[in-house]
Amino acid sequence: MIQVQRVSKWFGGSGRGGVRAVDDISFTIPAGQCVGVLGPNGAGKTTTIRMITGYLPPSAGTIRVNDLDTINDSIGARRLMGYLPEATPLYPEMRVQDYLAYRAKLYGLGRAARRAGIGAALERCWLKDVARRRIGQLSKGYKQRVGLAGALVHSPPVLILDEPTNGLDPSQIRETRSLIKGLAEDRTVLVSSHILPEIEQTCDRVIIIARGRVRADGAPAALVRQVQQAFPHTVEVGVTPGGRERVHRALATIEGVASVQLSSEGTEENWARFIVTPKGGQGDLREPIARAIGVLGVVCRELRRAQPTLEQVFMRVIESDDRTALKEQKAQEAA
Amino acid sequence: MRALSAICGREYASMFRIPLGWVVVSLFVCLSSMYFMMRVMVPGGPATMREVFGVWWALLLFLCPSVSMRLFSEELRSGTIETSLTAPVADGVLVVGKYLASAMFLLTMLLPTLAFVGVLAWLSRPDYGPVLSGYAGLVLLGMLYLAVGALASACTSSQTLAFLGTLFGLLMLDVIPARVAPQLPEQIAKIVFMLSPSVRANDFYRGLIDTSHVAFFLGATVWFLVLATLVLQSRRWR
Repeated sequence: MIQVQRVSKWFGGSGRGGVRAVDDISFTIPAGQCVGVLGPNGAGKTTTIRMITGYLPPSAGTIRVNDLDTINDSIGARRLMGYLPEATPLYPEMRVQDYLAYRAKLYGLGRAARRAGIGAALERCWLKDVARRRIGQLSKGYKQRVGLAGALVHSPPVLILDEPTNGLDPSQIRETRSLIKGLAEDRTVLVSSHILPEIEQTCDRVIIIARGRVRADGAPAALVRQVQQAFPHTVEVGVTPGGRERVHRALATIEGVASVQLSSEGTEENWARFIVTPKGGQGDLREPIARAIGVLGVVCRELRRAQPTLEQVFMRVIESDDRTALKEQKAQEAA
Repeated sequence: MRALSAICGREYASMFRIPLGWVVVSLFVCLSSMYFMMRVMVPGGPATMREVFGVWWALLLFLCPSVSMRLFSEELRSGTIETSLTAPVADGVLVVGKYLASAMFLLTMLLPTLAFVGVLAWLSRPDYGPVLSGYAGLVLLGMLYLAVGALASACTSSQTLAFLGTLFGLLMLDVIPARVAPQLPEQIAKIVFMLSPSVRANDFYRGLIDTSHVAFFLGATVWFLVLATLVLQSRRWR
């Protein structure tokens, strides 16, 4: 379990010249949960992660990992964590299995535990075939797996991964994602990323950080549901010449519809595609649209409501944050 | 203890996994051999290593910084310092482990030179006392230089800067004061000589093992290692 309580971090002091990287953030991650930390570059994700792992001390607040304080009980807390930093730093001159043995020794594993840990990490990260290769000779995808194996070799109950898919190609991203999913089955995982689908598909919970503060926190589906936005519906119906206006009128008279537009995109002859935008707050209009089309007696081959995505949630949070920042700046200028 | 041996072992092995380690050892052995052949192996000359130790001191002045420059700078540059400092290992253990690896490298570098002692023993009857004490003095001096290098390496992510910083430090701490001291008033000169590691090492080359010298070398080495640890820790608090 990770408990972050009222944690702040200033670089260069808390005075005028200092930079506030993290500002009074709090969250608790229960054991066994897989949590994604999202945020634009410079939002404070890496600083937060570095504070949790004990690499940086917080300027204020406390962080506890399985009830061990990361400052007062630093060594004990570090023993519980496996950490893969951003950019996956490794020793290129070492062989993969030697590197894993080194990491296992750092975590105090005895000979038998070390052998078991290395074997399990090699298997779990699909590294058996490159175990004797030098790390510097491996591809970026393999290096990423070596980094993950290094973080896993002592079987930590808490795994912390900072941008684990940064710089990987799409197939490597998919591989790493499925690896993380597997790892999250039996431990607490904290993953930071700015790649949204990665978090959406891997994590049970998302924490969005912007300008050093927690802006949203919850399950991806719950966050998406919070988006009170009018999502347009797409309707494609078979029409006779001159029948377009009749359908248009019928759709426009449905209660809760703000506008109806005829789309020229990808339509074939005798088919018309309409984009129906509901009024604000009106969510799903598929039923009244289907009924209206039924009354008209025309063939409908598509009725689809655009689904809100985590990306939209993210963008809304970031945009509202930018607006707040602008207001604060104006207020400061005025003062 | 396991972590200390892991850090030391990895660092020592890595010195020989890159060309730098082999280049440093080869350079030291080649230059030493040349000097030994030209200045010691002279007909009628005394069977002593004293002159060689004096030259090795000059070599250590350049070779120790080239060994120590990697210790922390490389980890700071590549980012592996983050995994090292988040492992359940105290910062001091990391510093000592890495430093011990560089000290072991120094011993490895000196190992082939035992052949010179063998040659002397084969051709004449050298006095082994000054030879042994000379080696002890050289090792103590080298260990101090490596500790200064470890401090410089902990200060920067650039190996070049760490090398130049160590060289500058050694010149300012040892070489220049020892050369300037004779021109200073007697009382001050005495203090400068007392603080000069290379002047203290001269006694060892002559066959004199003074416990105050040993304490000085060990104390100064520990002092620089403590400073290196503090520098490394200070990164967490900036």
